[in-house]
Amino acid sequence: MSDFKLNVRNINDIHVVDIKGYLDAHTAPDLESAFSKLLDDKKFKIVVNCKNLNYISSAGLGVFMMFIEEVRKNSGDIKLSNLTPKVYNVFDLLGFPLLYDITQEETDAVKKFGA
Amino acid sequence: MARLSPSSSQGDRQQTDRFDLSALFEFSNIVNASLDLNFILGHFLLTIMGKILSTRGIILLKKEEEKFAVKTTKGIHTELLNTEIVCKKIPQRIVYVQREDARKYPWLKLFREQGISVLIPLLVRERIFGIAGFSPLQKIKKLGQKEETYIKSLANIAATAIEKSLIIEEVKQVNRRLDGKVQELNTLFEMSKEFNAALDAERLLKLLSFSLLGQVGTSRYFVCLKKERAMQVVLSRLQKELSPLCLEAISTIQQPTLIESLTKKPYKVFCSMLKDAGVQVLVPLKIQNEVKGILGVGERMRGGEYTQTDLEFLSSLGNLAMISLENARLFRDAIEKQKMEDELLIAREIQKGLLPSVLPAIPHYDIAATNISSKQVGGDYYDVIRLSETKVLVAIGDVSGKGTPASLLMANLQAAIHALVPLGLTLPELSARVNDLIFENTTSDKFITFFLAIIDSETKSLMYVNAGHNPPYILHKDGTLERLDKGGIIFGVMKTMMPYEQGTAQLNEGEALILFTDGVSEAMSKEGEELGEPKLEEVIKANATEPAEKILNEIVAAVQQHSTGTTQYDDITMVVVRGI
Repeated sequence: MSDFKLNVRNINDIHVVDIKGYLDAHTAPDLESAFSKLLDDKKFKIVVNCKNLNYISSAGLGVFMMFIEEVRKNSGDIKLSNLTPKVYNVFDLLGFPLLYDITQEETDAVKKFGA
Repeated sequence: MARLSPSSSQGDRQQTDRFDLSALFEFSNIVNASLDLNFILGHFLLTIMGKILSTRGIILLKKEEEKFAVKTTKGIHTELLNTEIVCKKIPQRIVYVQREDARKYPWLKLFREQGISVLIPLLVRERIFGIAGFSPLQKIKKLGQKEETYIKSLANIAATAIEKSLIIEEVKQVNRRLDGKVQELNTLFEMSKEFNAALDAERLLKLLSFSLLGQVGTSRYFVCLKKERAMQVVLSRLQKELSPLCLEAISTIQQPTLIESLTKKPYKVFCSMLKDAGVQVLVPLKIQNEVKGILGVGERMRGGEYTQTDLEFLSSLGNLAMISLENARLFRDAIEKQKMEDELLIAREIQKGLLPSVLPAIPHYDIAATNISSKQVGGDYYDVIRLSETKVLVAIGDVSGKGTPASLLMANLQAAIHALVPLGLTLPELSARVNDLIFENTTSDKFITFFLAIIDSETKSLMYVNAGHNPPYILHKDGTLERLDKGGIIFGVMKTMMPYEQGTAQLNEGEALILFTDGVSEAMSKEGEELGEPKLEEVIKANATEPAEKILNEIVAAVQQHSTGTTQYDDITMVVVRGI
């Protein structure tokens, strides 16, 4: 029933999460469990490709915040790429560009992991 | 080529004027085309510095009344940037620093120190909103009139452009603040929608976590709720746990509060514990003005202090969550209550099953019985057991209290009676055995009032024992009422010390025996009055010639009429036996 889809693929040891649709309080648990699983499997190099993300609410942003500390503690990172201007605006309003590495293209984010 | 020498020829002068004019025009185009304040300020400084051959330039803009801050510098240490000074009584003309009175204008000190000798006020509609300062290479006492005019023109053009860019900057900031507000409202809207749909506390707290992380941008938070009297932590992402004493102390806070401001007793001692745990703000969660919980949040990962607006947002979010948590609790309670009611219903069904479904028939007597249970499970009991072709045992009892304990005891009594009756004991023996059994199996605050009788259709008489029960009536042919009150102590209070006394009575044709419980005689009216035995006797007498069923129905009708408008509190139980 939710208009949110995600898919995880990997480029070497980097895991790219493609997210699509609406990320809000309703669909946030889906992304939460995806991140949980990555962390359980000790995958700490994560790129979230937001190319097809149409909408994000603050609850959606909450999911990113939930894991960033643990990921960085394990010398990893959650990097974001391909944000649409509308989605970027929400990130920007809530001060996320200060906390997260946000790149134009997925390849830039992957490169920053030194791959 | 422009030269500023007194020997310039007329042609040179005209050329200079043209040059100045086109330079002004170009300057105006450039600064008006830009909305970038720093660019405009920089370009203005550089243009004048070039014109009057100055090595240093500085611009201060008004922050508030009489207070100016350094915005741009050229050839001066950038550490001066954003320095604020108070400038009073700024003249609306070009100021030559060396020629002014240091006592009259103390603020000139800053400019002297930086070697600035010429100040140009920036005016819009004759109001000074900035000052530009320069240091011409040549130690000039005063610029020529032409140069002053030229510089003033530049300053006027710049001032308008600066003002425009300041307004646009402000609009941008207002817009951003508005966007931020809209985002906050979106979050509140989303959360209130989601909170309302969530009926379990776990999901509610998860949603609250999401918005604290996402909207507020903190990764440290906790929620505790009042359970009975103590505060119980239901959600926590703190560095350290808070002590129960600390939770109790902060539960008296009435307004959203920054930890820093907790400087008074009784909070002060817990300040360092809260800080160690990473808490920066405490928000009381209220329902109808009563603190029912606390939300605590820590520092924001993107930095920045919590403002009053932030506290208001936290308060709104927290209270929304609190109301939904309360609703979830009420919902859970309602479900549990429903479950309990369902169980009670089952208990009542079981209990009904213990009462005789079909009344045995004996010659010469007509028997009717009823049990109308109240909402709760009660402990009323009646029985009619056929002993032989000509004998029947009738019994009625009322177990003290209500609910499941009473119904269990009633079931016990029923079992005891059914087990003992076939043994052919006398009524006093039977009563003593049942009393001992009940006494041994219950605490002394549980008791049963009981009446049992054996009716013999051959002798048209009955033997009975009354163990503290409302005395049944026999309505005799002559219209008199006999009350059957011989017997002994109620069941279950003490072991049988004295044998139960057995009473006897006649029950001839046309006479009726009426057994009832206090649900009948003590039925309450809306005004709180009991039906009373006189009224009961009246109804019995009025129906003296009627069959058992009719007498019973008339009494029930009288009880129900008396209790109109009230909830039936007690079971209504009756047995009527009439000689025919």
